[in-house]
Amino acid sequence: MWARRVVVVVVVVAQVAFVVRAYHAPHKEFGFQMFPESSTWQAEIVRVTYDGRRIPISDPWDGYQWSQMVRSRGLARASVRHHADAGLDNQLAFLDAALDYVADHTPRDTETRYLEAVVTTWHNTDEPETVVFRSHDRDVAG
Amino acid sequence: MSATVAPPRAEPASSPIAAFDVLLGRPVSMRAMALLRVLVGPVVLLHLRPILDAARHGRIYRDAFYEPYAAWYPELPRGIYVAMLWIAVVAALAMTIGLLTRVATVTVFVIVTYNVFLSTTNLHNNRAYLMIVLAALAVAPCGRELSIDAWSRRVRGRPPLPTSSPGWPLWLLRFEAATVYAASGLSKLLDPDWFSGTVTWHRVVLVRDRVDASLLPSWAVDVLADRSFHTVAAKLIIATELFIAAGLWSRRTRFAAVWVAICFHVAIELSAEVQVFSFLAIAALAIWAVPSTRDRVLVLDVDAVAQRRLGAVVRNLDWLARFRIEWRPGGPVTVVDRDGTVVEGGWAVCRVLSRLPLTAWFALPVGLLPRARDRVMPVGGAA
Repeated sequence: MWARRVVVVVVVVAQVAFVVRAYHAPHKEFGFQMFPESSTWQAEIVRVTYDGRRIPISDPWDGYQWSQMVRSRGLARASVRHHADAGLDNQLAFLDAALDYVADHTPRDTETRYLEAVVTTWHNTDEPETVVFRSHDRDVAG
Repeated sequence: MSATVAPPRAEPASSPIAAFDVLLGRPVSMRAMALLRVLVGPVVLLHLRPILDAARHGRIYRDAFYEPYAAWYPELPRGIYVAMLWIAVVAALAMTIGLLTRVATVTVFVIVTYNVFLSTTNLHNNRAYLMIVLAALAVAPCGRELSIDAWSRRVRGRPPLPTSSPGWPLWLLRFEAATVYAASGLSKLLDPDWFSGTVTWHRVVLVRDRVDASLLPSWAVDVLADRSFHTVAAKLIIATELFIAAGLWSRRTRFAAVWVAICFHVAIELSAEVQVFSFLAIAALAIWAVPSTRDRVLVLDVDAVAQRRLGAVVRNLDWLARFRIEWRPGGPVTVVDRDGTVVEGGWAVCRVLSRLPLTAWFALPVGLLPRARDRVMPVGGAA
């Protein structure tokens, strides 16, 4: 009887907590906020090399292609203006994580120091804003 | 040496905790959960299909960007991971037909949940809801009806297992189902852009080329692109979600809420890409059926061909086991409802069809007609 009570109370409290958390968390797990925004975004992503060059990731490098490495969540073609279907915060959190993922999964690349995304966001019908995301610095020397 | 065991301390019968315990432990029919189990198997297959398609082409989640929730979360070798997905397919099929139901249901829940939590990129609202539904099915004894397990027991001459069980998994799933609508509606209500219609209008503006190329007539396109339309429509959408969330709880409004929910999900399915959400949400509406079975009597004329056909329809489509059929010579179709009221003739047929899952959506509005209400009489009343 106690176990049943505890399970039910924990589930109910946790669900309510997830719903409340979704109002400020980028990933809104179990928050059930459907079609939250009409916001859109577009990003120019470059590799910044140790010698200071800024090379668009639309150019394949060392056998890597951004669109092959980052396929989900509308990130494959970041240069095209997209709908942020789960909200801008969510979309930008994924883009930020994707930069780190690519920085960590390109071992043949010995010239890139970090990846950088200059992101233009349109929150619903608001004026555009620009934010910059960077991956962590890569340690190519190992 | 003897020992006495102290009885577990019971809550006073009148305390809120005692009432809570009674609610959670009250045996109710698990028929709706059994039907949901049958319907959710195909939804799981639909959910797994793109993942398996990619795996057949040699791609799994970690071949491209993914973001684990936790560094310690275990990841399987590629071959075992793909094999696990196929085990989920087999288990989903077994779940639907009710073969080793408890094992199959738990297996599906564990694999689907494990797979979704491999990456933050995997978690969408429809998958969160799917995990919740699977969790409820995994803990509820939902394989004692509509299953090969039950049929197998009958064939072997073993007594059937009880089809009633403590109701707490059903109540929890109802809470979760209502929360999906409530959370969605509330988030829109609290967002000034959503409430004003800006979000829906702007979305149409952004996909105007696709709307123009759609099958919609030009006047409908003009209406959709009109901002003032969205000022009203947004409020209607929010009211719809909140009505479904609240209306499902009351028997007075439940039929209307279910009817509106089906319209709502069909509209979403036609206008947006929501993966398995529409199918899952419509299937989950089954849990709002009153959890008791065979508590309505359908009286049919054994000599009337049309009534025998109706009897066959009810035998085949009464998936929630609402009706007990009784035969008599002569007389109109008669339904004796669980509260003792009697309905006869065409209105009785409507009443029957409105309680069968496949025909309910079409028949429910007829039951709202004033004449339908006039035809309801206390038990023993004259036609």
